[in-house]
Amino acid sequence: MAAVEAPDYASGPRWRDLNRIFQREGGFHKDDDEPYNPEAQREFIKNKGKILVIGAGGLGCEILKNLALSGFTDIHVIDMDTIDISNLNRQFLFRASDVGKPKASVAASFIMSRVPGVTITPHYGAIQDKDTSYYSQFTLIICGLDSVEARRWINATLFSMSDPNEPDTFVPLIDGGTEGFKGQSRIIIPGLSSCYECSLDMLTPQTAVPICTLASIPRQPAHCIEWASLLEWPRVFEDKKLDTDDPEHISWLYETALQRAREFNITGVTYQLTQGVVKNIIPAIASTNAIIAASCCNEALKLMTNMHNYIDNYMMYTGDEGVYTHTFQHEKKEGCPVCGEKKTTMMEVEAEWTLQELIDKLKEKPDVQLKRPTITKNGKGLFYQAPVQLFESTKANLEKKVNELMQSGDVIDVTDPGLPFSVSVEIIFK
Amino acid sequence: MASIPPSGVPSSKEKKYDRQLRLWGANGQNRLEAAHIALVGATSTGCEILKNLVLPCVGEFTIIDDKTVEESDLGTNFFLDEASIGKSRAERTMALLAELNPDVKGNFINNNLHELLETQPELFDPSTTKFTHIVVVSPFLTSDLLRLPQSIPLCLVYSVGFVTSFRLALPTHCIVETHPDSLVDLRLLSPWPELLEYATKQSAGLDAPESEGGMSDHQHGHVPYVVLLLKYLEDWKQTHNGSHPISYKEKNEFKAFIQSHMRTNVPGGSEENYEEAVAAVLKHIREPELSSATKAIFADARCAEPPANGDSFWITANAVSQFYSSPSQGAGVLPLSGSFPDMKAESSVYVELQNLYRARAQRDASLVFANVQATLDRLSLPTDSITLDDVTNFCKHANFLKHIDYCPLSDAFSEKPAEGFKDAVKAAWENWDAEDGLVYDYVALRGWQMFLDTHGKPPGVEDDSVENDRDEVSSNAQAFLKSVGIEDTISGTRTEKVVKELVRAGGGELHVIAALVGGIAAQELVKIITKQYIPVNNTVMFDGGSSRSAVFQF
Repeated sequence: MAAVEAPDYASGPRWRDLNRIFQREGGFHKDDDEPYNPEAQREFIKNKGKILVIGAGGLGCEILKNLALSGFTDIHVIDMDTIDISNLNRQFLFRASDVGKPKASVAASFIMSRVPGVTITPHYGAIQDKDTSYYSQFTLIICGLDSVEARRWINATLFSMSDPNEPDTFVPLIDGGTEGFKGQSRIIIPGLSSCYECSLDMLTPQTAVPICTLASIPRQPAHCIEWASLLEWPRVFEDKKLDTDDPEHISWLYETALQRAREFNITGVTYQLTQGVVKNIIPAIASTNAIIAASCCNEALKLMTNMHNYIDNYMMYTGDEGVYTHTFQHEKKEGCPVCGEKKTTMMEVEAEWTLQELIDKLKEKPDVQLKRPTITKNGKGLFYQAPVQLFESTKANLEKKVNELMQSGDVIDVTDPGLPFSVSVEIIFK
Repeated sequence: MASIPPSGVPSSKEKKYDRQLRLWGANGQNRLEAAHIALVGATSTGCEILKNLVLPCVGEFTIIDDKTVEESDLGTNFFLDEASIGKSRAERTMALLAELNPDVKGNFINNNLHELLETQPELFDPSTTKFTHIVVVSPFLTSDLLRLPQSIPLCLVYSVGFVTSFRLALPTHCIVETHPDSLVDLRLLSPWPELLEYATKQSAGLDAPESEGGMSDHQHGHVPYVVLLLKYLEDWKQTHNGSHPISYKEKNEFKAFIQSHMRTNVPGGSEENYEEAVAAVLKHIREPELSSATKAIFADARCAEPPANGDSFWITANAVSQFYSSPSQGAGVLPLSGSFPDMKAESSVYVELQNLYRARAQRDASLVFANVQATLDRLSLPTDSITLDDVTNFCKHANFLKHIDYCPLSDAFSEKPAEGFKDAVKAAWENWDAEDGLVYDYVALRGWQMFLDTHGKPPGVEDDSVENDRDEVSSNAQAFLKSVGIEDTISGTRTEKVVKELVRAGGGELHVIAALVGGIAAQELVKIITKQYIPVNNTVMFDGGSSRSAVFQF
């Protein structure tokens, strides 16, 4: 193919390298695809692609940079956090003098000062504060989050917006995540691909240490730390809420845990471990963030144009041992409560369990994993977390046996205040 | 709360690097801070690599580049700004990268590799260089690349449009802290006397009902599973001619045997410690066996006779190997790791048991330490050059050690490539699932490098030469294939498509891909510098189009 005459996309020589790739047909353009039209693509990115970046942390900083240098000019970013000193080892748009300021606005200003012509609109707040009218203005959303709940929320919200009769209501989601030397990126297209909820069981549910271990037979430094935070803190400071971001609170927990560890001859309680346990800290490094954020943006660029094929639909990266990637099609789950046809999952229970035991098992069930489940059956409440009146009127059920409240084959609905959907669970007695 | 002393509170440096110290610890951080990286080629990819090393605090870096910043650099490289146009690219990228972390020292040299190799050979001479690691980002002539010293770890990176690759070349890389999933070794089939004695004591009255002087339900439900397994293994041996459950079938029978001793007339109908014991059978009941990597280290000549330069890895490996084979020391087993998992137990019993494992590990490490000291003495090296802490850490990882012997760059890039290289390319090309494989990308990239060597510039720079350049790169790729002894044609293969992609880019970088390979290469460099985790051996291809990677030992 002869090269197309180079159109001057406003910024001229600055975008030489990117424009070259736009203008020249690649080796993998299929003959049966639409004829390669570079101008339409470049124009689309520049004038129509409106992208929301969720999270301005380790991934978010990288994503904003990558989008700005891929020709996108209308970018929004939302983040509820302020900058902490422990962000500086990877969140490269922030300096020590920025500690305490909102991430979204500092990141946006930095990128705009470095890359003229790009507009980044920051929002300092929680994603849950915005509604579907806000999310529907974007052509694409890219997530760089460290929270499972936030991902589940945005995923369900985007699916709730999708109207099969109105293709414009489908907003694709690209999601990235990292942990240490590992990470993953994926594309979620409502109606076409699997969704975040479909893959929930790929995460290992957090199993809590039994309270009796913490209370009477601690063996690990972490047991002493959890004892201090879960049992001692509420006992000593009845009315004061534990703030894991407050160094004085962490110091108290550390001292208290250390004291307990000494009583039991347990070694290994440190300040660092205390912080790690109570804040559930996940190790994070610059290079892994770079890989995953770049993969997300590479897919975004390909998805918004036809300069190359985008992935269908998942890439895992593992760098602990050599370099290993696995790119595959993650399949839709039939019983997915968000995108499935038949939105019911199944659970085997002992008829003799109490409702409390059933709830504890539900929290750990890989495809449910709710933090504060409320349980209803045929619209009738079996147990409510909130409000207080309903909690009070249903809490007695927690001690009741499962077979007093339901029969094998019954379907219960489980909701959580943090999620905009309910999970239907068919209960089968063992 | 004010009365609590702020003891144990981390320093501001520990706070800043907290998220990475949780991976590689002070040990890895010290090594990172002692490194001095030379970046040759201040392209977007080069700067992205450096960014990922400056942030975690590599000690020092030097950017080598002779270009003047043009406006087109700003479209791909984040570490240049409007004010940089017309100035030295080395100087400006250094300034904007150094700004990321005040703990890091940045330098620049406004010159090119070829010139420096001619006029300042001491810069890269291993005996005089300040550089501990060199990163080269293409385009560079093969002849210059081959003049870089073999004894300094090198990472050669290509980032051309959607096609990326890098090649690592370094002296033998030895790793102690490989970070396996678990270091636990319970020695259930070869317990030392104190452990067996403890297990016997703790399991007294285990199988008798409380009414007949046996354990209470509470006691019974808190016997740690290690004690249960040791006790039932002894019982098993009595009825199996003194042999252990080794086969899968025997292990399943053994599981049932344990299960049959569990008390079920207790609240919940089962005992957690027995369930843990059953679950541990397949994982923990095994003969102590040398890993293939440790076996390879023991078989290495450098382990048998540690080099006189005092390399602590080989001296300690030698000491561990002595321990392993000496009848009075390990007698056929490695030093114990001392790592002990959590299990249902009373606190005091758990701690006693854990201490037994720890004490045994300390005893083993001190024997190995004595072996190390004897060797240091024999080699006339200072006996304090390897500490007991170093040896203890080594012993802990004794079955998870790793060493990688890298092939030099010349094996793959000299005019007469090494036979091993040819064989490796051939094997990859002829692999049964190679049709869509990234070895095709490698072949195309070699054709691209040959074009660069001939013309001094990458293909596709001029719009009107795209087709000619493509033909030339294709015929180069074909010639490369022939040079390694493959007679196939590239016509109609993936290589032809990749050539089209390479020429499409006109030597330019795509920022997203620069950022991506910048991350991958930086991860490998971090692993190499910290001597932790396992770096790749030796060539990585990543295709940004299909988001796939492949590793080749080329």
